[in-house]
Amino acid sequence: MSTTIKRNGDEWQAQAACIVPDWKQPEEWQPGDALLLPVDAEPNPAYRDASLIGIEFPAFTDGRGLSLAVLLRTRVEYSGELRATGAIHEDVLHYMVRCGFDALELPPGRDADTAVRLLAPYSGHYQGSVSQAQENATRVQRWA
Amino acid sequence: MYQYDEFDRQFLNERVAHYRDQTERYLAGNLSEEEFLQLRLRNGLYVQRLAPMLRVAVPYGTLSAVQLRKLAYIARRYDRGYGHLSTRQNMQFNWPELAEVPDILEALASVEMHAIQTSGSCIRNVTTDEFSGAAADEVLDARPYCEVLRQWSTNHPEFEWLPRKFKIAVTGATHDRAAIAVHDIGLRAYHDANGQVVFDVYVGGGLGRTPVIGALIYSGLPEQHLLSYIESIMRVYNRYGRRDNKYKARIKILVRAMSAEGFKAKVEEDWAHIKGGSAQLNPADLEPLQAAFAPPLFEDLDDQQADIEQWRLQHPAFSQWLHHNVVPHKQRGYAAVTLSTKATGVPPGDVSDEQMDAVADWADQYSFGELRISHEQNFVLPHVPRKHLLTLWQQAQEQGLATANAGLLTDMICCPGGDYCSLANAKSIPVAEAIQRRFDDYDYVHDLGELDINISGCMNACGHHHVGNIGILGVDKKGQEFYQISIGGHSGHSGHDAALGQIVGPSFAREEVSDVLATILDVYVEQRIEDESFLSCFQRIGLDPFKERIYVNND
Ligand code: SF4
Repeated sequence: MSTTIKRNGDEWQAQAACIVPDWKQPEEWQPGDALLLPVDAEPNPAYRDASLIGIEFPAFTDGRGLSLAVLLRTRVEYSGELRATGAIHEDVLHYMVRCGFDALELPPGRDADTAVRLLAPYSGHYQGSVSQAQENATRVQRWA
Repeated sequence: MYQYDEFDRQFLNERVAHYRDQTERYLAGNLSEEEFLQLRLRNGLYVQRLAPMLRVAVPYGTLSAVQLRKLAYIARRYDRGYGHLSTRQNMQFNWPELAEVPDILEALASVEMHAIQTSGSCIRNVTTDEFSGAAADEVLDARPYCEVLRQWSTNHPEFEWLPRKFKIAVTGATHDRAAIAVHDIGLRAYHDANGQVVFDVYVGGGLGRTPVIGALIYSGLPEQHLLSYIESIMRVYNRYGRRDNKYKARIKILVRAMSAEGFKAKVEEDWAHIKGGSAQLNPADLEPLQAAFAPPLFEDLDDQQADIEQWRLQHPAFSQWLHHNVVPHKQRGYAAVTLSTKATGVPPGDVSDEQMDAVADWADQYSFGELRISHEQNFVLPHVPRKHLLTLWQQAQEQGLATANAGLLTDMICCPGGDYCSLANAKSIPVAEAIQRRFDDYDYVHDLGELDINISGCMNACGHHHVGNIGILGVDKKGQEFYQISIGGHSGHSGHDAALGQIVGPSFAREEVSDVLATILDVYVEQRIEDESFLSCFQRIGLDPFKERIYVNND
């Protein structure tokens, strides 16, 4: 079974994923639905009204989902839950968090404790990010 | 030089700890081969033909004597007593043990060095002119901007997983020694009419199997927008660069597919959203960096011309060295010195721990404790008082670092090739050695003048063969090692835009390469007008005269 790690304020909690969202693809999606986007989706302003957005990574090395997350947070100004799904693993989660994901759905077989431990391996960052705002800017950032 | 502050030190210590954790999880079987591969690459560790290879970043080629001594120590303690200077101004070690790499990284961190993003599909070490801060033709020292880019690109959350590797080069001089036209992003820094620092932004240049000269997409970008504009370039590339075929994944392919204008439009559409935002570079933030790279406390020295003339008469070999390896300095009484690693019989760029220690000592004695690695794979002492040149030359001779060939035929750029690299089609080091042995007559080589020979063992072009005046590329012909030769490439020089070499024709067996080279040089010597350089001569007469002579015997 997969585990989803979610942000709850400044805390992150691992939850066994019991309920699978009723994901809708972009072409059938209506405001209020849970929307599952491929990494090459364009950031449509209408997506602001989704109840939940998932971005599905075909591989953990595919950085398109990171840029898409940044655009959803900054251009679309989507403020609901943004969930990373698909082929992700514990060593890329910290990048995802900084790009604006606040839920991380680990594939079956990954160790949730390790994943939670590795969510923030760095106490400071050289560049600003989407999460900076969410974290009340507690971390040092060198360049905007 | 830039000195780490508490922030940098903490970050680097956390990075080492993070990588140690990753290594342990891999060795414990909790990370797959493929997962760990991506992580170790981003920490500089390749697995080569014979053993792992660790590529240590030397940001923009600048390092201190203290740092070089640590590299010498690493060579002794963890390697077989030598390191290799790469064409991207980095230092590579060929024999580290995978399990010991975290310890090596810890040793590096103790002298403010690392191997972060020296490999993998991410933003790599930023390179620049090896004579930054010293060159007489420098408009401005680009290193403060290189350091900004180093910091900004380090562990960037959005751009760590690009379609392919990404290389940025910056120059601040009139003569572009950083080869900005053949980088993913090339930046030329200068002052505009109001004295403000601005950048010309080139994008989509590169070597490899599809060599391309970069396109100028922004002329005169104000300093404050440097990071935001690059952020937009990176975002467009990250989103639209091809990921289905690694040979088509570099930004140059995307720029070609969209056209330079189309690419620029896409970048600027994104940029419109962020250029006025918080991503602006403030002069106040740059100040500490400008201060870090401020010129050292030069003394008011005589140029020592009389002594130097005297020494030249006494030591003809010194005179040759002075002519080729010593370049004019901004500051009267000083010179910048190239310590060539291209002695015959030594693989180009290889340096022993003893040589590293010696160079570190000379840097302390003569050059404010500072030195450089050039993309031609040599050491440079940037600020040597001219009164010490003779002593330095004598000391360098004892260490085999005084070969008077900087910029000449025997100062070849050469990738590690089939001796070390698992991607190679052919060996490159023995070709370089054969050429050095064949052309060991100083007078002849000197008479030929400026001539870049660049050798790559496969089309990945780590030896930059496309931009060699003569380029040599290892190819595979039915399982046999062959070499394709091209003429006329260069990476941009005094007012000329960079050009890619033209292939002379069918490739040659290894034994033939030196002969073909001799034929090419014969044609040049016969056809040149007065002191015309090889490149100018080629540009005037074209490929045919060379081609005809090379293949005449084969008809
Ligand atoms: S050019 Fe090819 S052979 Fe040479 S180092 Fe690069 S990948 Fe290896």
